[in-house]
Order: sequence, then structure tokens, then C-alpha cells
Amino acid sequence: MAGEAGSSKVVEALHELNVQNVISIPKLGPIDFSITNAVIYLWFGAAVVFLFFFIVSRRLRKEPGAMQTFAEILLGFGRGHLTGQIGEKGKKFYYLILTIFVFVLTTNLIGLIPKPELLKPYTPTTNINVTFGIAVVVFIVTQFQGVKNHGARGYVRSWLLPPGIPKALAVPLNGIFFIVHLVGELFRPLSLSVRLFGNTIAGHLVILVMAGLILQFASAIVIVPAALFIVVMMAFEIFVAFLQAYIFSLLSTVYIESAIYAGH
Amino acid sequence: MDAEAAKLLAAGIGLGVATIGPGVGIGLLTKGACEGIARQPEASGDIRTAMIIGAGMTEALALYAFVIAIILVFVA
Repeated sequence: MAGEAGSSKVVEALHELNVQNVISIPKLGPIDFSITNAVIYLWFGAAVVFLFFFIVSRRLRKEPGAMQTFAEILLGFGRGHLTGQIGEKGKKFYYLILTIFVFVLTTNLIGLIPKPELLKPYTPTTNINVTFGIAVVVFIVTQFQGVKNHGARGYVRSWLLPPGIPKALAVPLNGIFFIVHLVGELFRPLSLSVRLFGNTIAGHLVILVMAGLILQFASAIVIVPAALFIVVMMAFEIFVAFLQAYIFSLLSTVYIESAIYAGH
Repeated sequence: MDAEAAKLLAAGIGLGVATIGPGVGIGLLTKGACEGIARQPEASGDIRTAMIIGAGMTEALALYAFVIAIILVFVA
């Protein structure tokens, strides 16, 4: 890595972006099954989401209390805004999209809470593997739905030109269309994952580097503007957490819908 | 110029240049949204939704460059 910044406070402040082993498990072949802090915070986020909805669903009342109202708002949001475009055939994906939204939002918000270094804090969405995993799930769902709704030939045919063009012109043009569409299709999970990963890690990096600067130059001239900047960036990061969760789930909806109704 | 310096330069300059496009894009986007809301305030909910989605997508373009810059600096 560049520079001799081994003992710099700035590098120390970036501990929140390091994946550290909590329970080391020796490698089985090429795969390392150690429980790292990334794994623990991922499980923790999933547990929080699951427990919230589970506890709310155990006793549903006609006069809802606070938690039930909140869950109802989330469900209404999921059905209305997030999956409004999907229509009849896509109704079974309400819960997948809503789960993606709530999970990404919860892990981002938990990651924004400042925690002492003792707890080895980590935000799962700052790991490209986590975001790519979610994007791959969406990708598999889109391809599966496309093939299931149109058959393999019909689905691929929806990527090509409409029929009725002379063969000599159609074959090379169809080839080009197919390759362009294939690249675009493969690019979608990549862009979904990189968008979420980049937004989250950029915000965390700015805040942590500012905090590291405060620790490094412990003088009043640095501390006051840097602290104000951190406060503003934290507020912006909370907004970005909501926005990115919304965009991830909305785009997943759009991709699934375009696969179900391919060829319009 | 050795490889290390070249990588750092590429990361810095690349990221700086890559922010121009999305910056202009989001500016145009907000302009269109403001004009739309000014013409028809009843549609401001839909316009706001479309603007947020558009901003998310164009911001991702700058983020691709950010990820490449991070790869250049930290991963060889």
C-alpha cells in the first residue's frame, strides 16, 4: 500500500473497515469458514430484521400499537412504492423486495452507530461480497422468471429484433443486439452491487478519515471545523442509507418486472 | 515514473475527471425537476420520485470510478 502511514492515527481510525477474525476456523480446501466480525454483524442485522417482524406478527391486534403500525407502514410501502410496477404475475416478489430494502437499511443504520473498537464494528454493506451476493440473488430471480414466463427461446428472442426482416440483414444485426443485450444484462447485478458498496464505503471513509484527522492533529483549529463536518456527513450518510436501500430495491423490482413482461 | 506513483496519479486524476459527468448530469436532472414542479405543483410527488431515482443512477457512474480508484490504491 502507498506511504509509510503505519502508525498514523488516520489509519487507526479506519479500523471499522477491517474484517477481523473472531473465531478462527481452519481452511477447508480453498474456503475459509472463520467467523469474522463481518459475519457476526451480518447475522446481527438479519436477526434484528427477523425478530422485529416475527415479534410483531405473533400478536396482531385490531388497534395496532407502535411496533405493529411501523410494520404495517413498511409493508404498505413495500407493496405500494417498491413493487407498484410489477403487476399480477410479480406479486410473489413483494416480500423479497421488501426484505432486501429492510435488510440493507437496517445494516446500514446499525453500521452508522459509533461503536467502540472493542466490539470490532463493521458494516456488512461495505463489503462488496455482501452486496454482490444480494445482487446475484436478484439476477438469478430475473433470469429464472424470464425463462419461466417466455420459455428459453422466447426469452432470448425478446432480446433480438422483431421478426420480419430479411435474413441477410437480420443475422448480423441480431448477433450484435444479442451481445449488447447480454453485456447489459450481466452488467446489472454488477452495477447494483457497486452502487450500494460505493455509496456506503465512501460515506464511511470520509467520516472515519475526518475522525482520524481530528485524532492526528489534536489542535482546536482542526477539531472544530472537522467535528462540524462530521456531523453534517453523518446526517447525509443517514439520508444516503435510506436512498440507496430504496434505489437497490426499486431497481431490483424494475429488472424483475422487465424479465416477466419481456418484449412488452 | 515508477509504477506506484503512476497508480496513485491515475487514481487521483481519474476520480477527479470522472466526477464531471455525473455532476453535470445531476445538475440537469435537478433543473428539469424544478421546472416540472414549478409548472405543475400537483405532480411534485411523482417528479420527486423520478428525480431521486435518476440521481441514484447517475451517481453510480461516479462510484464506478471511485471503486476503480480504491482498487488501484489498495489492491496493487
